[in-house]
Amino acid sequence: MKLMTMWKDALESLVSSPATEKYPFQRLDAPDQLRSQLHWNLEKCTGCALCAKDCPADAIEIIVLDKKAKRFVFRYHIDRCTFCGQCVESCRQGCLQMANDEWELAALSKQGFDVYYGDDADVQSVLVGTTPPELEAAAD
Amino acid sequence: MQVPIMPAKGEKFIIPIGPQHPALKEPGHFEFSVDGEVVTGASLRLGYVHRGIEKGTEGRNWVQTLYLLERICGICSHVHATAYCLGVERLAGVEAPPRAQAIRSLVAELERIHSHLLWLGVAAHEAGFDMLFMHSWRDREIVMNLLEGLTGNRVNYSANVLGGVKCDIDARQTDAILAGLEHLEDRTRHYLTVVTSDVMFLRRTRGIGVMTKDVAEKLGVVGPTARASGVARDVRLNAPYAAYDRYPVELITATAGDLEARFIVRVQELFETYRVIRAILADLPEGELTVRMPRRIKEGETISRVEAPRGELFYFIKSNGSDTAERVKVRTPTLPNMASVLTLAVGHQLADMPMILAGIDPCFSCNDRMIVVRDPAGRGAHWTWDDLREYGIEYYR
Repeated sequence: MKLMTMWKDALESLVSSPATEKYPFQRLDAPDQLRSQLHWNLEKCTGCALCAKDCPADAIEIIVLDKKAKRFVFRYHIDRCTFCGQCVESCRQGCLQMANDEWELAALSKQGFDVYYGDDADVQSVLVGTTPPELEAAAD
Repeated sequence: MQVPIMPAKGEKFIIPIGPQHPALKEPGHFEFSVDGEVVTGASLRLGYVHRGIEKGTEGRNWVQTLYLLERICGICSHVHATAYCLGVERLAGVEAPPRAQAIRSLVAELERIHSHLLWLGVAAHEAGFDMLFMHSWRDREIVMNLLEGLTGNRVNYSANVLGGVKCDIDARQTDAILAGLEHLEDRTRHYLTVVTSDVMFLRRTRGIGVMTKDVAEKLGVVGPTARASGVARDVRLNAPYAAYDRYPVELITATAGDLEARFIVRVQELFETYRVIRAILADLPEGELTVRMPRRIKEGETISRVEAPRGELFYFIKSNGSDTAERVKVRTPTLPNMASVLTLAVGHQLADMPMILAGIDPCFSCNDRMIVVRDPAGRGAHWTWDDLREYGIEYYR
């Protein structure tokens, strides 16, 4: 039976520096395993959309412009993403990867949370909501 | 001016506590009938944080459900995912590779350290010992960082995937974990001395909330709460899952059954956890991390039990052969343990109630599965969305 069993801790804490970090002035390196923003590689994608089917947060959309010509646009909603990494596991072609250092994703407006990956012209056509002219001609 | 209503002779005086902040920062409503400062009866209402998770599983496929269930608890998320994965793998007739099972056990034990240190802090805070609270939470950061380095996240680790695990462990991580454990072991030894010798703290724990073995058996309490009363109950030993048959755990029990015993059992369990983690790291089987899982799971039903930091976690999973679970039922350890709070409350001072409640390490939002609307007349009724909305508006008017 003692009194003040933690007096040593109290004295040590008086002279030691704080245990917390001075973020954002001091920024620690993220561990290699950390899951942050998702990246998509168009080259390998077959458009199977298994990543979108397995996403628990509905954060992935694969917009198929032309399956044969492998013209896909990958719409990624960062604000919905829970960074579980299931899409990376589900992808059999290995075209999805999560960066480990892009974790400062907070923003003041909602725009910017929709990230588009894919060919620039295709992304543009998805953004303005039109079908690219060459695909329209093929449909005719 | 409000006139205080005094009870007539022989009438009970009831102190309502909650739903906002009933000692812990989670909602639950207690009603303690008191005679002066002494509690003579207790009742409880749960269900304020019902999130409809079991219903939510019906609209998701097997893979998506894993991440929903992982979010039942922010502290013991990994055991929820493990219980679900083990159940679904059994239904599908596949077994995760030995290395994956060992990593599952490893993450579960690291999570146990984080949960017990968190509890130690919260319980100390309820006793007014904020020094212990802040230091144990500072040390908990070590294990949080180890978990982040191993799995990629501090909470909701997502280490599990149906058919195995996502994260592998290399020599660098092994060294980091061993170094972290060494420091934590020193600190844990210090905390054990504090909780068993600090006279101010012992006044709040020794002889308070005594639960005998018989009462514990009768109430069906689980986990460290049961083990502190001498009940030999641990799923890791009684029905080994994941890799616990390869790395056996030793049972930690105490006989006193009071709050002090609950502190001792949890803190001593930490030493056992450090030993098991070292055993896993020393003898980690080589091989694959995952096996192929079918998208559709064979028709059937199963139960899956794992030892969460708070006690036995129970899952019932039923498949109808499609890619969606037909029924997932979850029973978290808080529910059986909550009965002990109401029983133990009687005869104690009102000021001991927060400590008795914290002693079972309750997790209200993990526990809340449904809401029962009690109609005094006993009529059953179907309410539409409009009815509910109208009721809500009237209620708060």
